[in-house]
Amino acid sequence: MPQFFTNKRLIILLGSIIVLVALIGFSLRDRDNLSWPEQFVKDIVGLGQAVVSKPANGFAGFFSEIEDLRSTYDENKELKARIKKTAQLESDVARLKKDNQELRNVLGKKKSLADYEPVQATVIARNPDRWYDVITIDQGEANDIQPNMAVITAEGLIGKVKNTSKFTSTVQLLSAHDSRNRVSAMIQGKSNIFGLIEGYDKEQKSLLMTKIPYDSSVKKGMLVTTSGKGGVFPKGLVIGKIKKMVPDEFGLTQTALIEPAASFNDLEHVMVTKRSMTTVLPQKKERKQVLVEEGNL
Amino acid sequence: MKRLLLPLLMLVLFYSDSLFTAVLPDTAFNGKYVIVPRFFTVGLLFMSIFFDRNTAIKYGFLFGFLFDIFYTGILGAYMFFLPLIVYITSKLVKVLQNHLFILGFIILFGIFLLELIMFQLNVLIERTEMTVTQFASIRLGPTLLLNLIFYLLLALPLKNAFEKLRRIYND
Repeated sequence: MPQFFTNKRLIILLGSIIVLVALIGFSLRDRDNLSWPEQFVKDIVGLGQAVVSKPANGFAGFFSEIEDLRSTYDENKELKARIKKTAQLESDVARLKKDNQELRNVLGKKKSLADYEPVQATVIARNPDRWYDVITIDQGEANDIQPNMAVITAEGLIGKVKNTSKFTSTVQLLSAHDSRNRVSAMIQGKSNIFGLIEGYDKEQKSLLMTKIPYDSSVKKGMLVTTSGKGGVFPKGLVIGKIKKMVPDEFGLTQTALIEPAASFNDLEHVMVTKRSMTTVLPQKKERKQVLVEEGNL
Repeated sequence: MKRLLLPLLMLVLFYSDSLFTAVLPDTAFNGKYVIVPRFFTVGLLFMSIFFDRNTAIKYGFLFGFLFDIFYTGILGAYMFFLPLIVYITSKLVKVLQNHLFILGFIILFGIFLLELIMFQLNVLIERTEMTVTQFASIRLGPTLLLNLIFYLLLALPLKNAFEKLRRIYND
């Protein structure tokens, strides 16, 4: 049998395994943003990607539009019925908004957790190997986008900005498997119930909201939004509706299965929300402390 | 000028992967399967067989590097394993014969190997909770099928293109 590797090749192989482990370790490290060489490469690849993906999106859009045409009649009927209700709702919202503004002025409290400034962005790429649920959008640091900002569609929250370069950013979807992917959320009811969204169940296609008190009466169909208490996301972004409640493994708290309001597939236009109030990110030192404490448990 | 055709062809294949992912709706087959286009890898393996192995290894290294930075964010994965797959398959081609029918199997084997390595890597770094059986039924089967179809459609044109390019480079 011929020798598979010569000595020189074996050394190259071993050397590159060392480099590989080092690089993977480097990229898994808890870091704030990309290093500048990565940003530079990302911008260049992103430029080409934007050039090819725009006509392709148009092409794909054409077919889905044809499909849409078929159901137009039914949709139109339903929408007409809904518009009648919307007029009343709109005037209510305008009145309440004005009330709210005036009362805030009286209190001297101008900013609210719910305030944000949306930045429109187009999805230019989706990770083709599909191991990590990330998408790339065509807005970056040049438009003041920073890591950890919430990303929404018209329907609701879809994820957060993972890292940015000058002209592109990578968005991690809520469906991604990452233990650091947590959203502080609340269930809207007579009194709001707070919890954390801690993961995504791929089989049931639902988000998992944990740490809900066992005696809270949560019903199917209740609305879940971001609470703004995590210090990163603005308050009031729609996440989804309660699908089912299950007790957690120790029976002390409940876990809610939430049907996401926004679809994580076929994303094309998204909005990045710039929170108006200052955001709180834990300092590096504090993060280390938390890790130590968890280790002791 | 004609020498630029080779990088251009590889660039088209590189972007075709993400284009395919963007155009194919995720709800196809009720979202039951994860279908991964590996058109670039197929092209790269063709390049190693009909053009030149060492050039293919360099291209695998470079485009793997771009892939890692732009799409996955896990540096080093494709940068290292794409050249390795090229090396292994080119050894296999030397042992077996260079016929398009058998080549199909070898290239599918290369893709199988790449998928398996990426799966193991992601289990190792805890980025997935998939079990081996889930991996085989949800990802591996449909992926191999898609790339087999791609191979059947484009085997001859790709072969001709790389043979032509080799003549251009040899002149």
